Amino acid sequence: MQSEKLLLEMQGVSKHFPGVRALHEITFDVRAGEVHGLVGENGAGKSTLMGVASGALQATEGTVRIDGTEVSADPDLARELGLAIVRQEPALMPDLSVAENLYLGLPHARRPSLSGLNDWARKLLLHWSDDVSIDPRDHITTLNPEQRFIVEIVKALECEPKVLVLDEPTEHLATEDVKRLFDRVRKVTARGASVVYISHRIREVQAIADRLTVLRDGEGQGTYPARELNEDQIVSLIVGGDLDRTFPDKATPGHHETVLATQEFSGPGFSNVSLQVRAGEILGLAGIDANGQREFMRALAGIHRGHGHLTLSGKDIQIRSSQGAKALGISYLPGDRHREGIFPELSIRENFSIRSAHEDTRLGLVSSRVEQGRTREAIRQFAVKTPNGETPIQSLSGGNQQKVVLSSVLAMKPKVLLVDEPTQGVDVGARAEIYRVIREAARAGVAVILVSSDQQEVAGLSDHVAIFSRGRVVEMLTGDRVTEDNITASVLKSTEQRDKHHKSLGAFWKWAAGNSAPLIMVGLAIALLGAVAGAWNPYYLSPRSLSNMMTLAATLAIVAYGQQFLMLVSGIDLSVGPTMGLVQVVASFFLLSGAAGGDQALGWMLVLVVAAVVGFVNWLLVEGLRLHPMVATLATFMAVQAVSLFLRPVPGGMLDGQLMNALNTKVGIVPVTFIAAVVLALVMEYVLFRRSLGVSMRGLGSRQEAARTAGIRPVMVRLIAYVGCSIFAGLAAITMFAQVGIGDPRAGISYTLGSIAAVVIGGASLFGGRGSFIGALLGAIFITQVNSVTVFLRLSQEWQQYLLGFLILASVALYSKSREKVVQA
Amino acid sequence: MTLTTERKTMTQPSFGQQIKSTVFNEFSWIWGGTIALFILCSFVAPGVVRPAAISSMLPFAAILAITAVGMTIVIQQRGLDMSLPGMMTIAGLLFAQIGFTTGSTLLAVPLTLAIALGIGIVNGLLVAKLNITPIVTTLATNAILMGAVRAVSGGSPMTAPAELAEFSHAKLFGVPMTLILAMLFIIVISIVTKRTIPGRRFVAVGANPAAATAAGIPILRYQVATYAIASLCFAVAGMLFTGFIGSASQTAGVDYLLPAIAAVVVGGTPFNGGRGSVIASGVAALFMTQLGQMVLALGAGTSVQLLVQALAIIIAVAVRHIPEYFGRP
Repeated sequence: MQSEKLLLEMQGVSKHFPGVRALHEITFDVRAGEVHGLVGENGAGKSTLMGVASGALQATEGTVRIDGTEVSADPDLARELGLAIVRQEPALMPDLSVAENLYLGLPHARRPSLSGLNDWARKLLLHWSDDVSIDPRDHITTLNPEQRFIVEIVKALECEPKVLVLDEPTEHLATEDVKRLFDRVRKVTARGASVVYISHRIREVQAIADRLTVLRDGEGQGTYPARELNEDQIVSLIVGGDLDRTFPDKATPGHHETVLATQEFSGPGFSNVSLQVRAGEILGLAGIDANGQREFMRALAGIHRGHGHLTLSGKDIQIRSSQGAKALGISYLPGDRHREGIFPELSIRENFSIRSAHEDTRLGLVSSRVEQGRTREAIRQFAVKTPNGETPIQSLSGGNQQKVVLSSVLAMKPKVLLVDEPTQGVDVGARAEIYRVIREAARAGVAVILVSSDQQEVAGLSDHVAIFSRGRVVEMLTGDRVTEDNITASVLKSTEQRDKHHKSLGAFWKWAAGNSAPLIMVGLAIALLGAVAGAWNPYYLSPRSLSNMMTLAATLAIVAYGQQFLMLVSGIDLSVGPTMGLVQVVASFFLLSGAAGGDQALGWMLVLVVAAVVGFVNWLLVEGLRLHPMVATLATFMAVQAVSLFLRPVPGGMLDGQLMNALNTKVGIVPVTFIAAVVLALVMEYVLFRRSLGVSMRGLGSRQEAARTAGIRPVMVRLIAYVGCSIFAGLAAITMFAQVGIGDPRAGISYTLGSIAAVVIGGASLFGGRGSFIGALLGAIFITQVNSVTVFLRLSQEWQQYLLGFLILASVALYSKSREKVVQA
Repeated sequence: MTLTTERKTMTQPSFGQQIKSTVFNEFSWIWGGTIALFILCSFVAPGVVRPAAISSMLPFAAILAITAVGMTIVIQQRGLDMSLPGMMTIAGLLFAQIGFTTGSTLLAVPLTLAIALGIGIVNGLLVAKLNITPIVTTLATNAILMGAVRAVSGGSPMTAPAELAEFSHAKLFGVPMTLILAMLFIIVISIVTKRTIPGRRFVAVGANPAAATAAGIPILRYQVATYAIASLCFAVAGMLFTGFIGSASQTAGVDYLLPAIAAVVVGGTPFNGGRGSVIASGVAALFMTQLGQMVLALGAGTSVQLLVQALAIIIAVAVRHIPEYFGRP
């Protein structure tokens, strides 16, 4: 099926990051109907190259054409032209279901109707495999990495791309899924489209690719027909004929004392590891990612718990926490620098001294003179490029950040140094310096353990190398056998595809983490509380009492919908209470008895406009001035309250009696406002789960980056959320007319906290992505019920607050615990 | 940036650079703002800068400053303590209650503080151990505390013990005791966070808890201690307020929640954790109180006062973002 038509052409593409040259004049093309393998080590630039192709990254130089059309840093256009990419880290929204993720992942034209979504999604998953274990209704958080990857692949295939980019696709897949993947890849090429297959597993690429291109350190090493090269030739192209990097001399042979020894050491992800590391030596741990080497190191650092026999300088030890590891003289250089290495906003000085602050103290206080002196010395010694020590560490380049962290870790004067990916995201120049520093530390008597996915690095630095596979040490290399070729060969030989793995999970926790659990629990609590109170005091269930409660619950519920709407996109609005007061005040000038029809109409219009304006201002402060939502809405809280008080310094302006009567109308014993609240909840719930807007909002709140990839525009969606929230507050204020009757600027204030409490009890997450309007309704009913039940139970008044407080804590603790439990690593 | 980064290594930062980084940071704006405000007052409302007016304003500023100090450290840990009203109110009531039951103010102070400490620890454990969002946790504990307020007071205010009232009104060399106490809080906490190892670790835990764990810092301890110390601050503020107005009301703390958060924001402590300044929050408390006095003296009512405070918050935050708009890295 191959033809000479080029579906993807990249000409002279270079990409520079601050301080790093990731790609240098790469020329790469993909023919229609071919599988084009892209191979190279970690950090060779494969993912960066595909990032440029997909428009996620802007090339510094060079051109990209997809199906003949030139594209530059425009992911939407790239997707439209038919480029789909399956990333190593799937771009999925964790709080959305599998089906919803598939839905949002497709271009608008290909999306099905949301009503039959789960069936549609099940069908797509069945295309992948008949015995697929993924339920389309499951949240992404409950899937394991392999299942997530399958969802990502299914999504990409369904787009029927012209160019499908697969980035390390077999990393997460079990054997039978790899076969399925190969089948799909062949189907894609059979219809004349092409596949770019990125992998560092050479055999796999040989098996599937027609041509292959090799990258090394950001430079192209040529494109070859896959069948013309044997495995050794490919390896030498990947590694480079001669060593491009210089490593310091290794440890001198001779006797070295064993510092740290493990025996039958097991923990999450590794088992029965027995290793020794000696003073002055570097022990490298190699293997495909996630085969236990990193987990083993983190257990030694005290971050995970391990069990087994450990000795340090001959003494038995136990490591229970990172603090414990530190006290024993084990220090750790984290692999994920951004997450665990640096304190981004703090200065270089603070980042440097934090791990060894005791060195700076004089008479119990940190001496800034000593601290600055030490920092200057570290900056000089490690050649950190910075104007001075007070610069925030986040403004440095990756290599310089890493040098600061390394200097800080070494300043702890450790006996054992654990080094995880010391040169990830570090430019070539800084790498050599980091290697030198690590080797010097070893030479000074420190026992060093190194984990790196860069085999050249492991070979160049280590005196001994342990090869990990599936959590066990399968081979040890020592002395002259520590070469990159040997390590690569051992790693490739030892690691076949992975087994399927599943985390077993109690049915209760899985249920409790679902969308419906909060509704059922709060519903049951309402029924239970109602039954107890009714049994105790029959008046509680009298029509009058029920009507009253429903009236109050309706107002709280509607304002809670607003809060919920905004909280879906991780916002929060403190100003809803005063907004309700302001609407009340505005109404008290227009909606009076005997007011002319024109005034009435103007009044109704103003009520909504005023509410919308408050929402718009909130959005402006958050998006435009980048204020934290709390701060922004705290300011509008005060400002809106000020306007209300300005308009009505004291309550006044009797509202139209007819209007109040209308609002007080009941159907049987049920107030119309309550009916309206219930209908609104159902409509909004429908929008939330069955309309594109609702799914998009949840997606945005769940993970902004993934949502952006799916074509959701965060700024616009947040505008809808802020304005919508305030309009709901305005609607709630209308239902309050009948209860308050006059323009009282303080009437709504208590609803701010009430609305937050209601949505939180209803199962919303303050971090966005999760929530339910029915949950908010139930939460509002529950709060109203708690507020009134104490009177009927003849409990003293303080019980109202005790109950509320304890119930909030209990419900939220349960939700938080269950959601934590179901998250798969 | 471009020029200086070219240098391979660096020597001692120049004196000018040091001055620049310590004097012109986001926490220094508030000093200039406060001085400007007092100068403005002396023109538009000379009445409020007379010694008598200032000495009647200071105790309120001092009490607000103490609450703002507690709020600052919680915000430095990426949290927010909504239990301030409950804590402040219950502290005033407990103090009066214990004072009258035991007849000893000397006993009432440590007992009240011990209870506050316990409540703060519970807050901290709920946040750090059970992983409940701080705002929700403290909203709930606030509700429980307000319930306790009702139970303790039985629904009516209590007279403050005479000794407390005396203390709250006392002056040392003409300086109100409340102000001295506030400054003590600010200075001690500021020195602890900037100049001691636990303080440094506290900042690190707030800035990046995961990195703090990897660096061998027991983060739970610091997170819990933060809420405990914040509770202590609120309790002290509650007792002082009770003494100052002469009775322990059931709503003493309610009007302090938003102003305390506002003072922290105006002082410049950001909401993303780690960095913060209790000194700036304290000065901002003075700024906000004096601003209120000025607006009041100009004949404006509560409405204008609120509006001015809202503007102060927005301007205070926006001003610190201005450099970003001009593309400074």
